[in-house]
Amino acid sequence: MTGWLARRSVDAVISAAVAILLLVALVHIMPGDPLAVILGDRPADAATVARLRERYGIDRSLPQALGDFARGVVRGDLGIALSEQRPVTTVLSDHVGPTLLLGSLTLLINFTVGLALGLWWALHPETLRSRVMSAATVVGYALPTFAIGMVLVWIFAVQLGWLPAAGSSDPLLAADAPLSRVLLDRLAHLVLPLAAMVTATIAVPIRQQRSAALAVAAQPWVRAARARGLSPAVVAWRHCWRPALTPIVTLLGLWLPMLVSGAVLVESVFAWPGLGTLLAEATLNRDVPLVIGAGLLLVVAVQLGSLLADVLYRIVDPAQREL
Amino acid sequence: MIQRIILACLLGISGALTPATSACAQASTGIRGTVVLAIPADVSVPVPVVGLPYTHVADVTDQLFLRLGFLKSSFRTVGDEALTPMLARSWRRVDSLTLAFELDPRATWHDGAPVTTHDVMFTWRLMVNPAVGTDHTVIEPIAGIDSTGARTFRVRFRRTFAEQLYLIGFNLQPLPAHLLERIAVDSITTSGYAAQPVGNGPFRFERRVPGEFVELRANSAFFLGTPTIGRVVFRVIPDPAARLNLLLSGELDVLEYVPPTAMPQVRAKRDLRVVTFMSNLVLYGRFNTRAADDTARAHPVLGDRAVREALVSALDRGVMAQRIYGRNASVPGAVQSVSWSWIRPVRGTAGAASRAKVRAALANAGWRDRDGDGILDRNGVPLRVGILYPQTSAVRNDFALQMQAMWRAVGIDAHLERLPGPVVAERLNAGRFDVEMGSVNQDASPMSLTQSWSCASAREARSSNKARWCNPEFDRLLANAMIDKDPVPGYRAALAHMARETPAAFLAAPYNNIALHSRFENVQVWPVKSWTSLWQWRVRRGAELPRDR
Repeated sequence: MTGWLARRSVDAVISAAVAILLLVALVHIMPGDPLAVILGDRPADAATVARLRERYGIDRSLPQALGDFARGVVRGDLGIALSEQRPVTTVLSDHVGPTLLLGSLTLLINFTVGLALGLWWALHPETLRSRVMSAATVVGYALPTFAIGMVLVWIFAVQLGWLPAAGSSDPLLAADAPLSRVLLDRLAHLVLPLAAMVTATIAVPIRQQRSAALAVAAQPWVRAARARGLSPAVVAWRHCWRPALTPIVTLLGLWLPMLVSGAVLVESVFAWPGLGTLLAEATLNRDVPLVIGAGLLLVVAVQLGSLLADVLYRIVDPAQREL
Repeated sequence: MIQRIILACLLGISGALTPATSACAQASTGIRGTVVLAIPADVSVPVPVVGLPYTHVADVTDQLFLRLGFLKSSFRTVGDEALTPMLARSWRRVDSLTLAFELDPRATWHDGAPVTTHDVMFTWRLMVNPAVGTDHTVIEPIAGIDSTGARTFRVRFRRTFAEQLYLIGFNLQPLPAHLLERIAVDSITTSGYAAQPVGNGPFRFERRVPGEFVELRANSAFFLGTPTIGRVVFRVIPDPAARLNLLLSGELDVLEYVPPTAMPQVRAKRDLRVVTFMSNLVLYGRFNTRAADDTARAHPVLGDRAVREALVSALDRGVMAQRIYGRNASVPGAVQSVSWSWIRPVRGTAGAASRAKVRAALANAGWRDRDGDGILDRNGVPLRVGILYPQTSAVRNDFALQMQAMWRAVGIDAHLERLPGPVVAERLNAGRFDVEMGSVNQDASPMSLTQSWSCASAREARSSNKARWCNPEFDRLLANAMIDKDPVPGYRAALAHMARETPAAFLAAPYNNIALHSRFENVQVWPVKSWTSLWQWRVRRGAELPRDR
């Protein structure tokens, strides 16, 4: 296992390096004027333009840009974000928290409640409740996330006034408010975006788990277990669930980067100060240092997700350990 | 353990551990009232001169930093009486090229240090530093600033013009030299000062939670009077729909430019009212008059004034403006926002000419449908124009769609080029476009027309005159107006000439419909620097909300 993990980690580092090189090169050739975000509509003479290009490092050739980026990564300096005029690392650290919170809770709910519902559905295929679940997952999956978000805001914030409409905290709450109030405030702001995210995404793990569990349920060892008179719960838990986890692990590996990339539409509807909208804005604004910095974070997240999925494969599927 | 992790996560994540500052100190001053506004993007550097040049940044910095003077209610920018004293107590004319200022001796920075000429000199040096990127049309007419005492200084101009006072008095917002002069220019935006700026205005900086809000508190020692609003919160809400939701849910107190479609919802809320103020916004479809590949040559289609006129006459601009702004917009004849009403408005023709008339005009210019495909052509080349605009602007998209439909109806192959902002900027700077669907928040002074519509600006590589429109007669009229003691007739003549020359289809000059909570009194919103009078707003007695106390 240790040797395998070391080899796999080296592969991950090489893949990440290649991805980053490609990212820097692509951003370098991307059309658009990065100075537009600094200057806005202000006219500027040639000396000012040259000075600003030099200051923000957008006057460099691709090899120079790659060299600067590599040196910067070593020093922990990813440059200055044009749209914020602050270090990229500071900007990213400001926004990564809300994204991690929303993303991790979404994954947690999807891969606990979602998997349990999927398994239950597989074991009760022809009941009324399973048909309701089928319809609900289709609707949840089909509706655009922003539409779900807008409806939730309209009902629970605008009409009922139960929950805040946007943001991740109440700006009117005093900075020295008691901890309990701060926590309640954070939770209140979290409910609607989380509900929107979960509603829009939970259908996938439910349906994946159901399909996998149905496939496993047809296997001879499951029939044998039933024939031995084991209870349905024991059959489900001991004989169906674990073998049915393999496709779910794949899904988890694919979704882990979402923890970092954020959900642009949900963040936009709820003015959630996460990385998703930040990265989208940075790309639209051709904020080269910020796009590359956020890209670096994403590449690392993808590689970690992939590595974690491989490790989990080996845990849930003993056959993998022999490969 | 898990509970502790969740606790730590929730706390750490949204900046809840921002250190408590002197927020509560306000309670004892008797100042009441909180105003919650929305801004479309974060203001990470709330410092004028070095911060980004956007309206939402100025919305915040104008609460923290004073100008030497501010416009009077007429918004006239001409003459030595154009401004009301703010940081400068007085000024006097020394000669036609020199103005002498005296700073108000009561003015102090929020840390207690006095505001002095040294601050003015420092800020001026910063403004002329190319690393800062100040609008060169502001600094170019000024030859220099000389210190004449601890609180007095003289501004020398390169030439005589009627808006000298406005140019320096409105555009100079001094920064504290004692806090900044030891910081390298390139490092100011990343310094501790930028994170916790010290200003001299009616509000002082309290805290900023990145991506969420900026909070300001009343400066109870403000030398022009104690603010009647205790706290201002600028919430960062990029999405217009989210802004509207916040207003309707009562979490926001003010919303600018309420779209007509949202009016029924706003009016249905009894605690909201809609007030219409002047605006400095103009929307236009600007024609590129020079060829994309060689700016020395005229644009093959739009270089011809007759074609431009026909294109404008094909548009029912009244209908276009009404669909988007309801009744709250006029159709200007030239680039003239409502805030320039002190120059008598040059009106445009709202309605469209008949299709036959437009086609006849285009036929006179050589454009006919010879191959019967419904598109006009000349020498085998179809009459095709692209409408370029940034993909983020919904209003421009609405205008562009209407423009496209109306032009297609008369046989012009109009196509939309809805692209990311920086790509639009790159193409505009390179002159690679036909029609720019643009908008401008006009400067208070028509003098700013030189930035965007003069021959000099047409020759500059990166000016605001993206269409490279050059009309010597317009330049002459504008130059004469600028040096005239009463430039109003001259400005009007220049704008009327622009209307005749049709460098653009001027589409709408909207008013600013502001929805605000009905508990506020003494509300004044300015067309330029909207929230300058925020410190004088009041909360009606008995109508306070919990957040006002």
